[in-house]
Amino acid sequence: MDEVGSLHLIMGNEAVARGTIESGVQFAIGYPGTPSTEALETLSKLAEERGMRVEWAVNEKVAFDIATGISYGGDRCLVTMKSAGLNVALDSLASVAYGDVVGGLVVYVADDPGAHAGMEETDSRLYTQVTMLPMIDVSDPQTSKDAVVAAFDLSEKYKIPILVRSTTRVAHGRAPVRYGKVKAPEKKTPLTRDVSRFTRASAAWVKQQHRVLNERVKAIESEAETSQLNILNLRPGAKLGVIASGISWSYLQDILETHSLEISTFLIGFTNPLPLNLIQRLIESVDKVLVLEELEPFLEHRVRALTHDFGRSVAIIGKMDGTLPRVGEYNYQLVENAVSRLIGRPLSQPDHELEARQNEARKLAPTRSLSFCAGCPHRGTYTALTQAAKELGYGKSDIIVTGDIGCTILGMYPPWSSCWTEVSMGASIGNAIGLKYSGVKTPVVAAIGDSTFFHAGIPPSINVAWRGTPVVIAVLDNGITAMTGHQPSPSTGYAETGKEAKKIKAEDILAAAGISRVHVVDPYDLQASKEAFKEALETEGPSAVILRRDCSLVARRRGALGAPYGVDREGCTGCLLCLRTLSCPAMSVEDEKMEIDEAACAGCGLCAQVCPTDAITQGGK
Amino acid sequence: MVDEYNILIASVGGQGGVTLARILSQAALAQGFNVRVGETLGMAQRGGAVQSHVRIGEAVHGPIIPNGRTSVLLSLEPSESLRTPEYLSQGTRAIVNTAFVHPIPVMLGDEKPHDLDTVISALRRISPEVYTLDAKRIAESVGASGSLNIVVLGAYAALGDTILSEASIKSALAESTPKRFLEQNTRAYEDGFREMRARPSSGSNRTAG
Repeated sequence: MDEVGSLHLIMGNEAVARGTIESGVQFAIGYPGTPSTEALETLSKLAEERGMRVEWAVNEKVAFDIATGISYGGDRCLVTMKSAGLNVALDSLASVAYGDVVGGLVVYVADDPGAHAGMEETDSRLYTQVTMLPMIDVSDPQTSKDAVVAAFDLSEKYKIPILVRSTTRVAHGRAPVRYGKVKAPEKKTPLTRDVSRFTRASAAWVKQQHRVLNERVKAIESEAETSQLNILNLRPGAKLGVIASGISWSYLQDILETHSLEISTFLIGFTNPLPLNLIQRLIESVDKVLVLEELEPFLEHRVRALTHDFGRSVAIIGKMDGTLPRVGEYNYQLVENAVSRLIGRPLSQPDHELEARQNEARKLAPTRSLSFCAGCPHRGTYTALTQAAKELGYGKSDIIVTGDIGCTILGMYPPWSSCWTEVSMGASIGNAIGLKYSGVKTPVVAAIGDSTFFHAGIPPSINVAWRGTPVVIAVLDNGITAMTGHQPSPSTGYAETGKEAKKIKAEDILAAAGISRVHVVDPYDLQASKEAFKEALETEGPSAVILRRDCSLVARRRGALGAPYGVDREGCTGCLLCLRTLSCPAMSVEDEKMEIDEAACAGCGLCAQVCPTDAITQGGK
Repeated sequence: MVDEYNILIASVGGQGGVTLARILSQAALAQGFNVRVGETLGMAQRGGAVQSHVRIGEAVHGPIIPNGRTSVLLSLEPSESLRTPEYLSQGTRAIVNTAFVHPIPVMLGDEKPHDLDTVISALRRISPEVYTLDAKRIAESVGASGSLNIVVLGAYAALGDTILSEASIKSALAESTPKRFLEQNTRAYEDGFREMRARPSSGSNRTAG
């Protein structure tokens, strides 16, 4: 399996895991987030045989803080997170940039151009300007592995955390990766007590650390110049050049396979510090340069400034002249159009007739709005909440539900059309407080999952209790971090290894915070859940409802599902109330009557509770 | 060696499109080809449209098929074959499962579904070489209702003029199937294969495109 030089078809995230193993790393920690999750997930599966400690932390800042401690202790550690997670870890990251790390400390962050996972298209490269920290950008699975190996060495050599940045198409794309040698773990001498390096507690120390940080980044410049992660192909006599980073490089390579072009190309692997001499060599050889990078014109700004410094008058094509977009991801076509602009002639002719047929065809593909899985406990939660509001006489838009990150937000889709807002991990509760402060007279419900609650929902819950704000905190506790593929959370009761772990209960935390009205119900029990919501909605002060039931996908895997339900075709009147109320993927309509797919049904029984003619029964037909 | 050969797999979350891509890419790798796979994960469990791009050949770099350059489209649901027509062209050969997965508004009667003929005709106007089969029914008839993706895999293996060999597809299938499902998956594969081979126009030595 470890054979040096062997080829493996793996995704970018798996390659990051492989790079971590090759670097002799014993510790990895992170918080799940698309598209970064599989990096730690892969390590977690290998942890036992490799003697590694691989864990999910409650949030990214805690993960980074633990990793820093591991590094202080003399060991190497990988920290993984999605782009939004880096915002959470930033407070500590910016601090640890100052002072020293001991064991190699590498932060793997995956951005999401195109917003496939449905959050902001933040460009993490800009954080190199906030923190000064070095960053390597990866363009395929092979460079993902190689970057991690290089980053651990650099981190230890310069005593500084290194960021490795990927994007969705690289992180989730598969390509053959050639394995390298696995290094034996090597423990460094742990930190000695030296507050001038390990604290920021005096202006003199901080300024000294700031100076050292600048010197380190300057010193890494020479590493950036000679790194194999940059690829400069200067074509003799070529007056046109392309600078690319990340996945754009692969689109450019596809174009160069399709068309024979006289252009020089440069893949920038080092985003910070930039390989200035290599950039200069390219700029001095060409008259026109195209910059390919997704999201913000980060390289383009720098290249423009450098061109001026080098005293060159070079035309620059990129985002700032409107050729390429800042929004969304790139693709072959966008890059081909940009290259066409560079060379001054179209590389391909549009086929308008084919495009017209394609546009006609596209209209026939129906919209598929996302919904909860069969047996998802959140289906019970939003149905009970809808019914409770109705029975208390509230209209459809009288109750504001602030949503949160994760599967719970899917309550915004029909038939519930609940959840008005979604901001960031834990924000539902703070947002709900603010809405009440600003004078919303009707109840405000904050709907948050268990993993999200432990991540960032506890401080705002304390705020609710402290100020006595009449907010309903609904913790949709399915015992796992579900959206990202079922990573353990403090509510799970077992660890990554499958071994038993302490189970932390949201109601205990809320009670300790001082919220005295806390209901715990099973969202498969519509009546009980509805009553709990009704009481909470009528409470004058803070209240909470914990809706506890395991994620049905987890229950299915464990063989813990109830028997499937069936429809009595005689009893079914075809009113479709069950489908209209629950929108369950196990349901379909056959000859104007309901049918339940036995294999898909998770046995939750919500449909039986909704059916007005009792035509749906467990094990029934 | 092959320069460029692209397979686009269109499906609805839960149909096994991602597994199908994995089997085909492993088969290609076993034959010594360069491979790239691009997919959008995350919504696969939740009823969304899912697409996988399997790219094979020496001239292949990016994970996504350039517009119009799909060699073969495998669509596990009819209307999904029209989700991203920009990747298809005259030269694309398509295998389409005819069993619809209707979105809920269609089931409720709030929206009207398109009939199969309308969908397939629209596809044929872009890519004339289309083969249809009821993979769901075939899978159910061999007691493998969850294996319609494997029925389509069998149909693909029988298509002829593809660069992947039957042997490598079969062994990739065996490698990626858990033991307890191997028997039913093998039946699903073979029935898909037989169904396709029975077509007069497939399996011949015609050049694709």
